[in-house]
Amino acid sequence: MRQGLEVIGVSHFYGEGHNRTCALNGVTMSVMPGEFAAVIGPSGSGKSTFLSVAGALLTPSEGEVRIEGRDISRLSDKERSRIRLHKIGFIMQTSNLVPYLNVLDQLLVVKKMAGKVTPQDKTFALQLLEELGLKEKWRKYPDELSGGERQRTAIARAFMNDPAVILADEPTASLDSKRGHEVAALIAKEVKSRNKAAIMVTHDERMLEYCDKIYRMEDEQLTLVAGSDRRGRKGAADTWAAESPEPARI
Amino acid sequence: MFLAVKELLHSKTKFLLFAVIIVLISWLVFILNGLGNGLATLAAASFQNMKADYVIYERGSRASMSRSLLSEDLVSAAEQLPGVEAAAPMGSSMATALKGEGASDEDKVDIAVLGIVPGSFLEPAVIEGKGLDRNQPYEVIVNDTMKKEGFKIGDTFSLERTNLFLTIVGFVKDQTYNHVPSVFVPIDTWREMTFAAPGSDRGIAHPVNAIMLQGREIDPAQVDAEFGNTETVTRSQAIQGIPGYKEESGTIMMMLAFLMVISAMVIGVFFYVLTLQKTYQFGILKAIGARNGFLSRAIVSQVFLLSLVSIAAGVLLTYGTAAILPEGMPFHLEAQTIAVYAVILLLIAVLSSWISVRRISKIDPLIALGKVE
Repeated sequence: MRQGLEVIGVSHFYGEGHNRTCALNGVTMSVMPGEFAAVIGPSGSGKSTFLSVAGALLTPSEGEVRIEGRDISRLSDKERSRIRLHKIGFIMQTSNLVPYLNVLDQLLVVKKMAGKVTPQDKTFALQLLEELGLKEKWRKYPDELSGGERQRTAIARAFMNDPAVILADEPTASLDSKRGHEVAALIAKEVKSRNKAAIMVTHDERMLEYCDKIYRMEDEQLTLVAGSDRRGRKGAADTWAAESPEPARI
Repeated sequence: MFLAVKELLHSKTKFLLFAVIIVLISWLVFILNGLGNGLATLAAASFQNMKADYVIYERGSRASMSRSLLSEDLVSAAEQLPGVEAAAPMGSSMATALKGEGASDEDKVDIAVLGIVPGSFLEPAVIEGKGLDRNQPYEVIVNDTMKKEGFKIGDTFSLERTNLFLTIVGFVKDQTYNHVPSVFVPIDTWREMTFAAPGSDRGIAHPVNAIMLQGREIDPAQVDAEFGNTETVTRSQAIQGIPGYKEESGTIMMMLAFLMVISAMVIGVFFYVLTLQKTYQFGILKAIGARNGFLSRAIVSQVFLLSLVSIAAGVLLTYGTAAILPEGMPFHLEAQTIAVYAVILLLIAVLSSWISVRRISKIDPLIALGKVE
C-alpha cells in the first residue's frame, strides 16, 4: 500500500529500566484516503501517545509509521517538522488558534511557514472557509468567534496544507452536542470530498456515526471494534450499533 | 515578520507602553551622551581642536600642563628630530578677568590663559577681529562665549592680582579649557603673568608648560631619549591628563554602561516573559509544522522593529530637548556618536532576545496534545 496512513507494530515506552512504562503495545492500523477512523478508549489508555506517534510528534520505541508509503518513525526533529507541515493536518481539542491572527491569516500562516503565500493559496483558503461556513467571518479574530466557529477555523487550517493525513484530538470535547455534531459532520465531509486519511480520537460515542471504522484503545493495545480495514464496506456506525447494544463504557 | 507585524498591530497598547520605556531609556542615553560631550568640550576643547599630534611634557608631570615645566629652548632642538614637522611652545594658567574696576562679582570672569607664539600652528583662526601680533604683547584673542559676559573687541580688562591689562582684538570659536573660556596671549605675556613671583620658574630659562609637535611619524620614545628629562605623549593622552577630565568622562561612561545593561535586561526580560506566556501557542504552531527558525525570527524581528522605532523616537526627542535647553548648559550632540549609540542600543536589544529564542527551541510540540512527558 502506497497511500494513506499505516501504523505497523508500534510500541512506545517511557522511562528506562525499572521505571519503564509501556504506553503503546504493538499497535497496528491503517487508514486509506477517504477513510475516517475513530479511536476510542478510556483516559490513560495511550490514545494521546498513539496520536503523537501517528502525527510525527513522537518517535516510537518500536515499529513503523508510514505516510504515503514513507516511514516517518525514524526521522530527525527537523524532518518530522517538515512532515507535519506538509503531510499532516492537526485538529486539536480546544480552539488552538493564534489570538492575534484573523480567520484568514490563521490559514495563511501555514503557507507562510512553508515559504511564501501565493494568490492561489489565498483563493484556496477562502474556498475552504466557504465550505466550512466561515465565508463572512474571515476578518474576525478568535475572540470574536463562537466555540464552534473557532473549531471550524481549526478544521480549515488542518486542510490548508493539503495534507495526506488528518489527525483530530477530541475535536468536539469543548462543544455542546449540537455544535459537536456540526463539527464532526464537517470533518467527515471534508475528509470524503478531499480524499484524506483521517483519524479522530474521541470520548464522545455520539460522534462515531460519522466514522467509517472504530478502534478501541485499551491497555495500550488497539483493536478494531467496528468497520473493516478494507474500503467500501458498510458504515461503521451501523456495525457499532449492532455489536454494542448498550452504550460503550468510556 | 508575518507573525511579528500581525501581533504588534493586534496588541497595540501593550507594545506601545513597552516602546515608551525603550524611548525613555534611549532618550536618557542620548542626553547623557550630549552632556558628556558638552562637559568634555568645556574641559578640553582647546586641546581637542589643536592642530598638534604629540605633546612634550616634563618627566613626572603625568601628562598634565599644570605639573610640567620645560625651557622654550627645547623647541629648536625638537624641530630637528625625525618625524617632527613643526614644534611650538605653550603655557597655561587659570586666571580671573576683571571688567572695569572689577568691583562686583558679575565683573569677574574666570578664564584660562593660554600662552602661545603668535602666528604658530597653535593659534586658532579668529571668527571676528584680528589675530595675535608679535609686536603687541598685550593684545589677546578670546573665546566668543565671553561676548555673553559683555566683552567686545577693543575692550581692555585686567587680571586679578596682577598689574597686567589685556586688550581683546579678536574672537575665536570653541576654545574652552578647564571648563572656562580660553584667552590666547603671546607667550612672553603669559610668562610675565605666571612667573611674577621670584623663583617660581625654578631657574629654567624661558619656561613653558609644554611643547606641541606636529608630525604623524614621530616616535615619542626617541624624543624622550633625546632630551632625557621629558615625557612625550599623544594629544589624546594629553587630553586624558587634563585634571578632572578622566574622572568626569569616566562618571558619564559608567552611567551610560549601566543604562545599556539596564536596557538589555528590560528588553530581554519583557520578551522572555511574553515568550513564556505564549509557550502553549508556540507549541501548537510547532505541532502544525513551524520550525524554531520561523518562530525565532518572529521574536527577533519584533524586538528589532520595536527598538528601531523607539530609538528613532528617542533621537528625535533628544534633538528636541537640545533645542530648548538653556544656552549655558554644557550640552553638545554629535550626529556620529548619536548614530553609534543608536546602533549599540539596537544591537543590545536584538541580542537580548536571545534568551527568548533559546526558550522557543526548548518548547516541545507535544504540549499541543495536552501531554508533556
